[in-house]
Amino acid sequence: MTHPIQPRLTQVFRFVRCTYAHGVAELVYAFDHGEELIERVRFPAAPAVTAERKHAFEAALKLLHLIAGISYYKAGVPPKIELSNGPLDDATADLLEALYLHGLAEFAYRNGLDLRGRIAFPRSGEPSGMVKAATLHLPERTLVPIGGGKDSLVAVEAIKHIGGQATAVWVGNSPLIATCAERTGLPTLNIQRELAPGLFELNRLGAWNGHIPVTAVNSAVLAVAAILYGYDSIAFANERSASAATLEYDGQQVNHQWSKGYAFERLLGDWLHTHVAADLHYCSLLRPYSELAITRAFAKLTPYFDVFSSCNRNFKILGPKPADRWCGECPKCHFVFLALAPFLPKPRLLAIFGRNVLDDEAQTAGFDALLEYHDHKPFECVGEGAEARAAMYALSQRPEWQEDAIVARFRSEILPQLDVAELALEPWLKPAGDHRVPERLQPALAAIG
Amino acid sequence: MTSNASAPLSAGAPWIVMKFGGTSVATLPRWQNIRELVASRRAEGARVLVVVSALTGITDALKQLCAQEDKSKRIEAAKMIAQRHYDLLDHMQLAVPDTLAVRLTELARLAEEGPAVLGELAWSALMQAHGELMSSALGAAFLSHSGLPTQWVDARDCLAAVALPNQNERTKLLSAMVEAKPDPALNTRLAKLGEVFITQGFIARESQGRTVLLGRGGSDTSASYFGALLKAQRVEIWTDVAGMFTANPRQVPGARLLQKLDYEEAQEIASTGAKVLHPRCLSPLREPRVPMLIKDTNRPELEGTVIGPEVREHAPSVKAISARKGITLVSMESVGMWQQVGFLADVFAQFKQHGLSVDLISSAETNVTVSLDPTENLLDSDAVAALASDLAKVCRVKVIAPCAAITLAGRGMRSMLHTLSGVLAEFGQLRVHLISQSSNNLNLTFVVDESVVDDLIPRLHEMLIAAGALRTDDSALFGPSWQSLYGSGEVVAAGDAWWRTESRDRLLQLGAEATPRYVYHMPTVRQQARNLKTLAAVDRLHYAVKANTHPAILRALAEEGFGFECVSPGELKAVMAAVPESAPLLFTPNFAPREDYAWAFGTRATVSLDSLYPLEHWGEVFRGREIVLRVDLGRGLGHHEKVRTGGSGSKFGLPVDQIDTFLRLADTHSVTVRGLHAHLGSGILDDKHWGEVYGQLASLAERIGSVAFLDIGGGLGVPSHPGEARLDVAALDEVLRKVKAAYPHYKLWMEPGRYLVADAGVLLTRVTQQKGKGSWRYLGVDTGMNSLIRPALYDAWHEIVNLTRLDEPATALYQVVGPICESGDVIGSDRRLPEAKEGDVVLIAQAGAYGKVMSSPYNLRDEAEEIILD
Repeated sequence: MTHPIQPRLTQVFRFVRCTYAHGVAELVYAFDHGEELIERVRFPAAPAVTAERKHAFEAALKLLHLIAGISYYKAGVPPKIELSNGPLDDATADLLEALYLHGLAEFAYRNGLDLRGRIAFPRSGEPSGMVKAATLHLPERTLVPIGGGKDSLVAVEAIKHIGGQATAVWVGNSPLIATCAERTGLPTLNIQRELAPGLFELNRLGAWNGHIPVTAVNSAVLAVAAILYGYDSIAFANERSASAATLEYDGQQVNHQWSKGYAFERLLGDWLHTHVAADLHYCSLLRPYSELAITRAFAKLTPYFDVFSSCNRNFKILGPKPADRWCGECPKCHFVFLALAPFLPKPRLLAIFGRNVLDDEAQTAGFDALLEYHDHKPFECVGEGAEARAAMYALSQRPEWQEDAIVARFRSEILPQLDVAELALEPWLKPAGDHRVPERLQPALAAIG
Repeated sequence: MTSNASAPLSAGAPWIVMKFGGTSVATLPRWQNIRELVASRRAEGARVLVVVSALTGITDALKQLCAQEDKSKRIEAAKMIAQRHYDLLDHMQLAVPDTLAVRLTELARLAEEGPAVLGELAWSALMQAHGELMSSALGAAFLSHSGLPTQWVDARDCLAAVALPNQNERTKLLSAMVEAKPDPALNTRLAKLGEVFITQGFIARESQGRTVLLGRGGSDTSASYFGALLKAQRVEIWTDVAGMFTANPRQVPGARLLQKLDYEEAQEIASTGAKVLHPRCLSPLREPRVPMLIKDTNRPELEGTVIGPEVREHAPSVKAISARKGITLVSMESVGMWQQVGFLADVFAQFKQHGLSVDLISSAETNVTVSLDPTENLLDSDAVAALASDLAKVCRVKVIAPCAAITLAGRGMRSMLHTLSGVLAEFGQLRVHLISQSSNNLNLTFVVDESVVDDLIPRLHEMLIAAGALRTDDSALFGPSWQSLYGSGEVVAAGDAWWRTESRDRLLQLGAEATPRYVYHMPTVRQQARNLKTLAAVDRLHYAVKANTHPAILRALAEEGFGFECVSPGELKAVMAAVPESAPLLFTPNFAPREDYAWAFGTRATVSLDSLYPLEHWGEVFRGREIVLRVDLGRGLGHHEKVRTGGSGSKFGLPVDQIDTFLRLADTHSVTVRGLHAHLGSGILDDKHWGEVYGQLASLAERIGSVAFLDIGGGLGVPSHPGEARLDVAALDEVLRKVKAAYPHYKLWMEPGRYLVADAGVLLTRVTQQKGKGSWRYLGVDTGMNSLIRPALYDAWHEIVNLTRLDEPATALYQVVGPICESGDVIGSDRRLPEAKEGDVVLIAQAGAYGKVMSSPYNLRDEAEEIILD
């Protein structure tokens, strides 16, 4: 046993090795000369890796090792990063440096750290554009990650609508997600991720702690799964506003959901095309849509109402009551409630949440933050302020809502300061902007809008 | 037993009507059971009329047949239905009786004919009526064949449906009403025919001779109609549960069987929640004063519920508590409009127009609030939005949901209001949107947020008992708990208390020597400790020493491997003097001065903080230390307001929204938060509660990297009233294990106090005198609130017995009082005890916790001595 490490005083973060055997990937990291931190990712009923896909698999696994390291790196944020398998080409190093910098921006902000200039992956100097991956003729089917919230369920239903082959996949142990995945009626795939126990020890010893871009880690896990099981596409359900920054701090954009944004989607999608397989597509099916367009689509999916939750509180133990899935106090609860309200009969919506969040004065500050009134956007995966204002304005015009505490306050205090012309709901319901949805899945886009 | 066993009945013999539902008539064993029951009633000297439903599933099959447009499919369906009856006859080894053959032919004919001739509704009614016509024909054959000659009666010849205003064709044919008044002619006509009869539930005939149905709850209602027509001795409803309960057993397993109700009470309970009886089936019995008895077919030995006229005065009692969920309120606010003629009529017309029916109504000068039940129309259409838009033109509208209506039902509700103070205080913590108290004085309804109801109902049920509002001590009215009758798993039965059995003589001797005396029974302490040690999910147990700091108890618990939770330097010193150095210590003070913390860091105790102030102002005291943070999860639980330690109204714990600030302060002073602690109150018997606290703490801990253990406090309830269920330790462990499986990296701690010592201690006192005042009788004993303040402070209920006369009948009703000059010095009110004499030794049970430690020298009376029994 080595001397207990002081995480915040470490000097080097080392990517020690990554191996794969019998459905288990072992990702190994270390600080300085400390104990190895071993994370395991378990792929159930994994088939053997064929010779044809071996190269692609190894590339995807390598990327998983590099991306998943972010959970450990952040414990100490040492000045130096070492790779035992040799340096990276420019495209890979660019991807990782962007991810580590932007994906940890909120973490840095909360901890008063400045990561700019601190994150440098060793580079071989091989420029971008030199690597070319083969076409693997992957089967025409899609991995759809399920998060338990409304977005992935809208994506699932859109793919089902066009008769697409898909598997509902999730990483980790969430009874909530398992229930939602089961409700989709699709085949399911549950990949397990075991964090290194040493990380908890580091936390106890005073490690830095905070938000990590978990969507990036899950994306890398699914890239490995796509090659392993044979899928030609990974369709996330990240919407348009995920690309917007939460706040600016010391000249740096901080976006809580950076790894759900379009920039990361493009970086990773391109990298997979060039480094893993030319026919493995990574995209978000909801990219052209606003939160409101998605909640409108979700409002028609009654069968999910009693199982889904977007609540930020981590419900590891499920119960039958709405309060077992919705805390009613976090920004996610606030936003999803508000965004669904224009599209559902009020008693139905209240039955989903088990309470009326908009008639709870204690939630005033939370909704102010959501509306970007008096406060900045909260650090959560929630829609843009303008969307929230449009939804609130729609409710403020409806007699069954307008006497509720938060809506009444909006009418009397906030609305007079706003330009009603900018509060229309309709513009939000139209698709707009770029997306990377492959041709095969593009008809599904129409099923959403 | 055979029918020949009894002598023939006279023409004037009384009638008993027995009703059996679909599952009770679907199999041979069930019919054998019916036969036994009918024979036993006949043996009582009564004529018996059996009312039956269709075989289970047949009514649904007939409905589906009616909805079928394809003739050949209808014929096929009729064959399937016939087959069910053939199969049962086969089982009974009976040939098809003529009465049934006629019905089956008719069924086949109707199926083939379809609705064209009779008309859709009349055809459908006649079709569905065949379910009962067939089951009764089959039953008649079986009963007669098994030696109980049984006459088949066509219910339609007896029950004449009445035409009512505002009835449309559908309600006329499918939910008809019968005016059933005692009919001596029918009585005479039937009495000539025999002694045992069988007829159909659910059906009647209207003035044009067409067959009609009685609608929901129809078979029970038929039984009531027959009970009224024959002015029966009683109507028995045989079902799958022993009767009505004080609450929905699914929500409150400790709900008690209601043994006696009057018609109005029963109807109120049936209307507000109980599913066992349809509320409409009671009114036919009210005028002829025919009692109804609900019985469990599988457990005929259970007493069941008797519903009858209000006979004699019992102590007024709440009989039941129920909750209806999914309620939407519409609150309408307007100044001065309500008095205008026709205004309310216009408002209510809007509800009618949007297809929404109003249930509860409350009104004030400027506000009318109504409740809507959860219909499909409400949930899935724009009805509410459209209604609100229309109403908004004439008043301010607010739509409040999701709500639940909690109803306390019982005769004489208004006279019980004073006993409900604790219950009302509970409502005081909630948002109560509407209160309604009907002028018939049978109910009190509160409409609250739906989210609180699941936890609230069991707690209110408990509080109603504790407050003496639900008088479960009256064994004439209240039977056993649902759990003890039907509960799955092991019923945690209260064994005979140690003081009642093995130690009684020793206690009498101790009481004769000197009183007041506290006596502690160490085997009970150890037993309770060992019960808790079976909680495999718990990594460390601490005894909350404030309950009782007697050194013998501290030592015994140290031997059992407990740690100790102390709230003051005094307690820490007492513990350190009594237990070995290896025993872990916790220091969990509240609003303690700075020097207490400084001193505690000099001991081996783990120190808790529960506010920002110490870190803000005395940061140096804590620099570099590890601490436990006690948080307030926002809602307190417990048996009395003063033992509730969570929620904004409580001084304990750091509110969750201040945790981030706390952590920043902790970081500033290099303080490490090693544990998170929450404690919501005392006297909690619901195992799920700790799972919730545990889960919430764990999800908070995930935000704080340094946390290694979670302390979910104590508050494990100890039942005090007879029949209250004990805390199910195995169930609690199961709940905790589930959470632990989700958060295996946190150790789990608990801090039980009262649970360990309450039952182990008794207070002995002696009778000094008696006094009569009006109808009240006071029994004076030689100590009171100076020794045991819990009754005065918390309204706590302690069992009180006259140990000298333990086996004598309890005929007197006493107010047991102490000698302290305070009107609150009452140890127990309305206690049934044997007639007492001066010098009798009286024992006050469950005095091991918060007894001696809370005693005072008030009035300068001698303090109670403490004695240990090993």
